[in-house]
Amino acid sequence: MLKKSRFFMSLTLLAALTAGCSTVSKEPAATGESTPGTAAEQNLDITIGRAFDVSGLDPGFLTENAQVVDNIFDTLVKRDENEKLIPGLATSWKQVDDLTWEFKLREGVSFTNGEPFNAEAVKYSLDRVIDPASNAPTASYVSTIDKVEAIDDYTVHVITKKPDPLIPTRFNRYPTEVVPPKYAEEVGQEEFAQKPIGTGPYKFVSWDKGSNVVLEANADYWNGAPEVKKVTFRSIPEASTRVSALLNGEVDIVTGVSPEDRSKIESSSNARLSTVERAGNTVYVGFKTDVKPFNDPKVRQALNYAIDVDTIVDKVLQGAAVRTNSLIGPKDFGYAGEPEGYNYDPEKAKQLLAEAGYPDGFSITLDTVSWYIKNTDVAQVIAEQLKAVGVTVKVNNVESSVYRTLVPAGKQSDMYVLGWSSTNTLDADAAIYAILRSGESYSTYHNADVDAKLDEARSSTDENKRTELYKEIQDEVIKDAPRIFLYQENQYYGVSDSLNWDGRVDTSIQVSTITAKTQ
Amino acid sequence: MKRYVLKRLGQALLAVIGAATIVFFIIRLSGDPARLMLPPEASEDQVTALRQSLGFDRPVWMQYIDYLKNLVTGDLGNSLYYKDSALKMVLERMPATIDLAVFAIIIAVAVGLLVGILSAYYKNSIIDYLLNGWIFLTQSLPVFWIGIVLILIFAVNLHWLPTSGNRGLESIILPALTLAAYPIAPIARTMRASLIEVMEQGYMVTSQAQGFSKRRRIFKRGLKNALLPVVTVISLEFGVMIAGAVVTETIFSWPGVGQLIIQAVSNRDFPLVQASILVVSILYITLTLVTDLIYHRIDPRIKVR
Repeated sequence: MLKKSRFFMSLTLLAALTAGCSTVSKEPAATGESTPGTAAEQNLDITIGRAFDVSGLDPGFLTENAQVVDNIFDTLVKRDENEKLIPGLATSWKQVDDLTWEFKLREGVSFTNGEPFNAEAVKYSLDRVIDPASNAPTASYVSTIDKVEAIDDYTVHVITKKPDPLIPTRFNRYPTEVVPPKYAEEVGQEEFAQKPIGTGPYKFVSWDKGSNVVLEANADYWNGAPEVKKVTFRSIPEASTRVSALLNGEVDIVTGVSPEDRSKIESSSNARLSTVERAGNTVYVGFKTDVKPFNDPKVRQALNYAIDVDTIVDKVLQGAAVRTNSLIGPKDFGYAGEPEGYNYDPEKAKQLLAEAGYPDGFSITLDTVSWYIKNTDVAQVIAEQLKAVGVTVKVNNVESSVYRTLVPAGKQSDMYVLGWSSTNTLDADAAIYAILRSGESYSTYHNADVDAKLDEARSSTDENKRTELYKEIQDEVIKDAPRIFLYQENQYYGVSDSLNWDGRVDTSIQVSTITAKTQ
Repeated sequence: MKRYVLKRLGQALLAVIGAATIVFFIIRLSGDPARLMLPPEASEDQVTALRQSLGFDRPVWMQYIDYLKNLVTGDLGNSLYYKDSALKMVLERMPATIDLAVFAIIIAVAVGLLVGILSAYYKNSIIDYLLNGWIFLTQSLPVFWIGIVLILIFAVNLHWLPTSGNRGLESIILPALTLAAYPIAPIARTMRASLIEVMEQGYMVTSQAQGFSKRRRIFKRGLKNALLPVVTVISLEFGVMIAGAVVTETIFSWPGVGQLIIQAVSNRDFPLVQASILVVSILYITLTLVTDLIYHRIDPRIKVR
C-alpha cells in the first residue's frame, strides 16, 4: 500500500518540521527543474497540463475531447498543419456512388499488441459505435453511416444513409479511430477504456485517476518513431495554477490559458504564448425569431446597429477574440472571407426601432453563462449599449449545467448568449446547421429558404455547389439578422521555450509532431 | 455506557440515511445528465435513448426505492462517466484527502494552540492584540487567494516547491498550509477563551496563592483543564477537511475526494455524487461519535446518560 506508507512518511516529515529543522528534501525530479534547452534530445520526456483528467480512453465512447486518445490511436484520414486532409491509416479514398465511399487501407500496420490492422478492424471499430444499442456518446458524429463493408483485407466501403460529403472528414475524428478487434472483444468495453491499445504513435502506460495519464513512444510506429519518448498528461483544473506550473518548469505545455494570464507567460523567461486565432467559439446573441418583438427583422437589425462590437473586443476581451460577421471560421470548409455586417450606429438603431413600432424601446431579459471569455462582463456591456437606444435589458446569469439543458430544450429567454464551434469537422455544416436549421435543438431561427439550402448543402457532394450554397445562406442570414453578430474567440496555449509546438484550430495535440528546439 | 453507545450509533445511522436521501433528491432537482453526456450536436432522440438506458426516465420515487435496495446490499452503482464502481473510486481518492487533512490539522493545531496560549498568557497586551489581528486576517482571507499567493511565492518565484499535483512530500506543504489557514482561528480563539476562563477558577486562584509562577500554573494545571472545548473544535474542523477540501484540492489539483465531488456534481454523475457524500458523511458522523466518546475519557465529570 503505497498510499499508506506515504501517510506515515508525511507524519515523519512533519515531526522533522515541528522539531525545528527545516530539512525539506528537494528532489529535482519532482519540482521538475528541467532547465529549458538541456532536455536530452534522445530521451525527450514532456508533461502537458490540461484542465481535465480523462474519464475513459476508448475513442468510440468518449464524453470529452480526444487530446489524449488521439495519440494512442490513428484515424483513416489525418490533417496536416494547415488542417488539410491527408492520408492516415487509409492511403486513398474516393466516392464510388452517391452513397458509397471507398477507402484503401495502409498495408503492414499492426496494433502495438501485434494484431494486424486491416479492413475487419475498421469495420469492427465503426460497428460498435453506430450500433444504437451501444449508446455511444458521439454517435452523432457518424450518424449518417449506415454500414461498413470489408471488401478485401485492405479495402473498405462506407455506405451512408443519405449522400454525405463529409465522410472523409468524419474519418478524421475520434469515434472512427481504429481499435484492435481481438483485444477489444477479449477484455470488453470497460477494461478497454482503462487499458487501450491502438496503432498510434504512443502506447498507453498508466492512468492515475484524477491526476495523470502517461504514454510512451511506439518505436515501431508506421510513420516513424516520434522524438518525444514519454508524455504525461496532467490534470490541473485551476487555470492560474496551470500557468504557474508552466512557469515553474513542472509542465512543458498548458492548454486553456485564460486571457488574463497571457502577460504572465509573455514576460516569462522560459515559456512563450501560442495564440490560435479564431480557434474557439463564435459567440453571438441569439433571438427567438418567432417571438415578439424579435419576429420583426427590423428589431433584430436595430439591435445589431446598437452594439459596438469593436469596443467590446478591445476593452472587455482585451483582444482575446476577433470581431466577425462570418458564420463560418476561416479554417472551415465553406469560408468565404469576411462579409459586411452592421456597423455601430445607435441613431440608425433608434430609427429602425421606431419604424418597427417601438419608438420607446422595450424591456427584455438576456440569458448568459460562464462558458465564454468574460461573458458576464460582455453581457453587461451589451445591456448598457442597448439601454442607450431605449432597450432595457436584465442580464440573467445561468449556472452552466442548467444552461446546457435549458437551451437545447428551447427554454432560455428570448434573447440569449451562445457560442458555437466547428472543431468536430471543420466544415460549415458543423458551424451553422445545428444553430440555424429550424427544428434543431439549438436553433431558434425559422427561415424556410435557409432550411432548404442547409439541407441541400448537407447532402450535396459537389464542393463548388456547397461553397456557393453556404455563401448564399450567409448573405441571407446576415440580412435577416437572427442574432447579434459578435466575435470568434482565440485560444491560448503556453509552451516551454525548449519545445517546437503550436496550438491548432482543431484543438488536437499531436505529441508526435513535438520536437526539441536545437539551441 | 453500552446503552449510550448503542443510542448514539442508532442516531448516526439515521443521520447517514438522511444525508443519503437529501443528496439523492437534491441532485435530481436540476435535471438529469443525459444531455450533458452527449455533444451539443446530438439529437433529442439520442438524448432520450441514453436517458432510458440510464433509467432516468422512470419516476423519481422508483429510482429512490432502487437506490435504497442497492444501498442495503452495499451496491452504490457505477460512475456514469468513468463506468467504474463509484464506491471504489471514492475510496481510491480518500487516502489523498486524509493525508492532506492530517497534515493540515497538525499545522492548524500546533499554530492554533500556540497562538491561543500566548494570547491568553499575555491577555489584553499588545501581543494579544497582534496575534488576534493576525488570526482574524488568515481566517478572513479567501482560501483561493491564499493558495494562489503561496503558489506565486514558493513555486513560481522561489522555485522551492511544486505548484500542484501529488508526488512526493513537498507537494503536500502548500495545500496543507492553505487548508490550515482557516481552522487556526477557531482553535486559537477557543484555546484563549477556555484558558482564560480556567485561570479564573477557584483552584487556579488557590495555586496562585500557593506561590506557583504564572507559567507553571498555565502549563501544569490550566492547560489540561482548558483543552476540552478545544478538542471539540479540532475534531469538527478535521471533519470538515475530510469532507473534501473542495477549493484547496482544486487550486492545487490535489487528487482527493473534494475534486472528485466538484467534478461529479458539475457532470451530474449521480452515482458518484451519492457515493462520495455517503462515504464522507459516514466518516464525519463516525468522527463526531468518537469525539463524544473521547470526551468522557478526558473529563469524567461529563455524565453518560
